[in-house]
Amino acid sequence: MTGNGLTTTSLTLGYRERVVIRELSIAVPDQRVTSILGPNGCGKSTFLKALARLIAPASGHVRLSGHDIGEIDTRTLARRLSILPQSPKAPEGITVSDLVRRGRTPWRGLLAPWSEEDAAICAQALEQVGLSDLAERPIDELSGGQRQRAWIALVLAQNTPYLLLDEPTTWLDLTHQLEVLSLLQKRNRDHGTTVITVLHDLNLAVRFSDHLVLFGGNGLVAEGTPEVVITPDNLQAAFGLKALVMPDPLTGRPMIVPY
Amino acid sequence: MSDEGSARKVVGGWLLLGGLLAVAILLSLMVGQIMITPAELLRGLMTGTGPGSLTLRVLRGPSTLTAVGAGAVLGVSGAIFQILLRNPLAAPDVMGFMSGAGCAVVAGVAFGLLIPLPILAAMGGLVAALLVAGLAFHRSGRQSPLTLILVGIGIGFFASAVSSFLVLRMPPQEAADAQRWLAGSLTARNWGHVLQVFGLGALLFVVLALQVRAMALLELGDELAAGLGAHVERARYGLICTGVLLAAVGVAVAGPVPFVAMMAGPLGMRIAGVRHPASRLTAAAIAGATITVLAEVISRSAIPGLQLPVGVMTGIMGAPYLLWLLWKEVEAGEL
Repeated sequence: MTGNGLTTTSLTLGYRERVVIRELSIAVPDQRVTSILGPNGCGKSTFLKALARLIAPASGHVRLSGHDIGEIDTRTLARRLSILPQSPKAPEGITVSDLVRRGRTPWRGLLAPWSEEDAAICAQALEQVGLSDLAERPIDELSGGQRQRAWIALVLAQNTPYLLLDEPTTWLDLTHQLEVLSLLQKRNRDHGTTVITVLHDLNLAVRFSDHLVLFGGNGLVAEGTPEVVITPDNLQAAFGLKALVMPDPLTGRPMIVPY
Repeated sequence: MSDEGSARKVVGGWLLLGGLLAVAILLSLMVGQIMITPAELLRGLMTGTGPGSLTLRVLRGPSTLTAVGAGAVLGVSGAIFQILLRNPLAAPDVMGFMSGAGCAVVAGVAFGLLIPLPILAAMGGLVAALLVAGLAFHRSGRQSPLTLILVGIGIGFFASAVSSFLVLRMPPQEAADAQRWLAGSLTARNWGHVLQVFGLGALLFVVLALQVRAMALLELGDELAAGLGAHVERARYGLICTGVLLAAVGVAVAGPVPFVAMMAGPLGMRIAGVRHPASRLTAAAIAGATITVLAEVISRSAIPGLQLPVGVMTGIMGAPYLLWLLWKEVEAGEL
């Protein structure tokens, strides 16, 4: 494995009775959008959590820039890598700006006051998700799409070169799914942020990702560019899905048509 | 709602909360068997002579300030648990930590232990908290807040029963004093009590202030908190210990006064109109102080010639609120 970026070596996740990921060694490409795909229960969410150190590996390593992630100081890690778990719950009555400000915590000294830089980064995060006008509104009063964007603003305010999101589009209608994914893609293009998401929708994943990691019931099926990963054989192996793969008339990338 | 509008509302909320406390303190100094006017109090404060001075220095000043301090530490303690467990029922009085602290103090007196009250109370509170955590422990590591609260109520009853048993074995005069103290009492407090509750309280508030940012992260859920750089388990244990110790400081000077800790957080948050943990804790301190001072005035003057324990008054105020909360939980299908 190279010393750069986010890599795993012989990573095994789970416990004796139920190992979900076995001996996995991959490198997530830096400054790209990577999506982790696979059927329910294949361990894609577990894998993402292990990348963010929310779960300790049963064996093997996750490394960030060559350092074992388990040995990195917590605050240092929080300045390098942020994670938005699936369906987070907001404390009752909290406003959007209060939520987003908490994303600055790893950058602030214990007694350091709120700085202009903190304020600017929060304002920028709110603008990137299009919530500047709703900053003082309680989260409970927002629509599902707006709420999800508020959570994304929280991790954007954390301002890390690695941004991990677990199913950021769940519960959203198609328009809002597109909105959320294009805003993540824009973040990647503008800031060079490495974005890693777990996604359910294959066609959306292909559309917005530079790199795919496809899991099946028995571990990794394929990894690489959408063109390499999305083939009828791989889809059959991962999902047991019979599908045609044809070029998307809009983007030319592979498009999946199940039959 | 505009930014400025909400800011003005918040300032108004703080003023109202502070004003209520000021009124409560003034009432507490004025009202009693002999009424003292604000003018007399002011003259006593300035010149150090007259009935006002005596009231401030000896008769009512120390009791009132002890009530302020005890109410503040209890209110903050309650708010800590309410924020951590995301449940308005979570408070050291409901969950038995204060009964545990009270039980340890009674045991100390009954067995003639020469340990200072705050330390006894702290040990009792921490043992109760450990028992609650131990009995509610689940292998998954995830116990519902309601389980913790119900186990806590059980531990509270157990500790109260042990206290009653110990009191029954004491000589009559001591037993009467202990009984009174267990009901929550603020009569005949002196400047030593004031110093104790403000000194220890201030120390713990500083310790708590250093943990507020971690608390604001824990509020977002364990995974996000960890991702944002919090040491989740360590932060949680630190906050629980601080909460139990704050409750113990209150118990050591005022006895296990019921319901102040439970009522202060939600009341302060409503009146001040605030949301962030730092503001909620501050509001809970002021609200707790206000409730306790008011309860103390009423318990002293409601029935002429009869001095009720302050805990009787907070019980009368708090019990309907507790029933209302329980009814809401039932409505929500949680119980």
